[in-house]
Amino acid sequence: MYLTVHPYKAFWELKYDRNQRASLWTAIVILALLSLTSILQSQYSGFLVNFNKPEELNSFMEIVYVVVPVLFFSIANWSLTTLMDGEGKFVEIFISTCFALLPLILINLPWIWLSNYLTFEETAFYYFSNSVAALWTLYLLFVGNMTVHQFTPSKTVLTLLLTVVAMGFMAFLCLLFFSLVQQIAGFVITIYRELTLRG
Amino acid sequence: MMCKRIIERLLSIILILVMCMVLPVSHVQAAPPSYQYSYWGDTVAAPAAYMATRIIDGVMMGAGALQEPADIHVTDDQEIYILDSGNQRVIITNHRFELIRIIDGFVNEGRMDSFNNPQGIFVTADKQLYIADTGNQRIVHLASDGTLLNIVRSPESEMLLSTFVFQPARIVVDRAGRMYVMTLGVFDGFMEFNVDGTFTTFIGANRVYVDPIEYLWKLLSTREQRSRMVQFTPTEFTNLDIDAEGFIYATNGDQWGDNVKKLNAQGTDILRRNGYFSPGGDIRYAYIDGPPRLIDIDVADSEIYSVLDAKKGRIFTYNGDGYLLYVFGGIGNRIGEFHTPVAIERLGDHFLVLDKGYGEITLFEATEYGRVINEAVRSYYQGDEERASRLFEQAVNMNANLEYAYDGIGKSLLRQGEYQEAAEYFKRSMDRKNYSKAYQLYRKETLREVFPTIMTGGVILLAVFIAVRRVLKSRGRKRVVTFE
Repeated sequence: MYLTVHPYKAFWELKYDRNQRASLWTAIVILALLSLTSILQSQYSGFLVNFNKPEELNSFMEIVYVVVPVLFFSIANWSLTTLMDGEGKFVEIFISTCFALLPLILINLPWIWLSNYLTFEETAFYYFSNSVAALWTLYLLFVGNMTVHQFTPSKTVLTLLLTVVAMGFMAFLCLLFFSLVQQIAGFVITIYRELTLRG
Repeated sequence: MMCKRIIERLLSIILILVMCMVLPVSHVQAAPPSYQYSYWGDTVAAPAAYMATRIIDGVMMGAGALQEPADIHVTDDQEIYILDSGNQRVIITNHRFELIRIIDGFVNEGRMDSFNNPQGIFVTADKQLYIADTGNQRIVHLASDGTLLNIVRSPESEMLLSTFVFQPARIVVDRAGRMYVMTLGVFDGFMEFNVDGTFTTFIGANRVYVDPIEYLWKLLSTREQRSRMVQFTPTEFTNLDIDAEGFIYATNGDQWGDNVKKLNAQGTDILRRNGYFSPGGDIRYAYIDGPPRLIDIDVADSEIYSVLDAKKGRIFTYNGDGYLLYVFGGIGNRIGEFHTPVAIERLGDHFLVLDKGYGEITLFEATEYGRVINEAVRSYYQGDEERASRLFEQAVNMNANLEYAYDGIGKSLLRQGEYQEAAEYFKRSMDRKNYSKAYQLYRKETLREVFPTIMTGGVILLAVFIAVRRVLKSRGRKRVVTFE
């Protein structure tokens, strides 16, 4: 809570003064809460702002949509900053990333309930606060990254942009890997079938 | 032994009877079940709104077999005009398909003249005939008794290219006698002719669609190469119809964008597209089939209009707001299916579908479901929302998938001041705009009820709070005083 309004000080404390194990657990709790928020959001948001098809809602996928990008970001950022002599360790990056996501929970959670009492004209407020939450998170991400690696602001911006590119690469590699595995599996299965049918 | 067997048999009969009672009785439907598109774009089941009841060919009308008929027109007093293109004649029958007259020629400057592969026919309210005589490159205007009134030939205008060949294919005429002609090979829209047959202007041209990849190629190629490439041209219209107010409804052969249009006098498209999907036939189709190709449109009263998809032989009917009401027809060999449907026309609330390949007309009659929907849309259009709501409720009972009907019920509830229920119905029809309207009123209403209670509560709380603070303060002061 303190972190969201005093990011510089708080991220500093997070890196140097706090017990890392406790922070890690807090980070995981934040991530879990964010997943919960996104599930609740797609299920219980007001009719006017909820464009999800209820039959296609999958809580598990919602969790994946939250957790995987965070992990991707942390990994990509870590692999980049080790090359660009950042000071952060992987755990620190992960913790700071998760803490930066706090505004998303703080703003969006109450709006799930509030959005049920909106008219069409007032949905502007909903979208406005959503964007505020996103921007705030971005800002925290920036500050967190800067503090963790002890970078200059411009270098942080550069790393963040590169991180996004690296995430793209990772996603591509993952897809490639899975499709290859699928092909191999398909091949093996075909051979097995062929053998059993011949046998 | 016998006894046991009889008992067994009795038991089994009872069992069957019980099962018959328990299991829902399945309705036997004569017409094949139809479908609808839900808000989410899923195909959902719907009962048939129209059922083919008769097939009429030329022999039954007493006019001999039809040969490649191209167009059909029904007047307000239900006389049917069939353009029998292959036999170069017009067949006129009454609504029971009993022959009234055949027009196979007219007297032109003292000599008998005839048609040559005519493609379009229009009949005005006072039964003057306009025939797009495609093969002779002219429009023939006949009086109701078949005498020639006027012939419109290829116009001369600086708007036209020198290579222009006048091939009128479809024609409509508005109340003032202006002709709107769909001409083959013209990309600038419909040709508009004055009452006396002089060409005035083009209206309602389709927009040019530029394929980005082809555009890139064009940018990269030299001028000589470019001149040999296909030019980007807007698509032609495929058909048109005119409603009682003089608006032209048109279909075009586009594979993209809006292929149904409603043109006003200036040629701007004013079709309302507030339905779940913009009107234009099937929204789900196999990739190899491609999107539907609309070739005819028919406007009825109350802004209801139907379009004919040549690819699947289906007829889609929409209301003025652009909601899909019902679908029927198909390509096939059974009754109610066609070989090459070319024209649709309403005969009252019945549908006539002209099949060019078979030279037949299929008559479709509305089922109970179709009647209810037609009436509901009509009542709503006329402003009788209570009746519309009742009819929509009936429609919903027959087809719970008809989301549009919930909208109709919601609107009537909204008018009656039942805001909460209205909001519920709008939610069901996924109408966010009207939901918001209903919800706002409902919220206002509830707040107005609850507000006094909240305020009283608030004031009491405030009073209590102040009192408590004052008591605490005075106590504190006392204590301070004693300390001193």
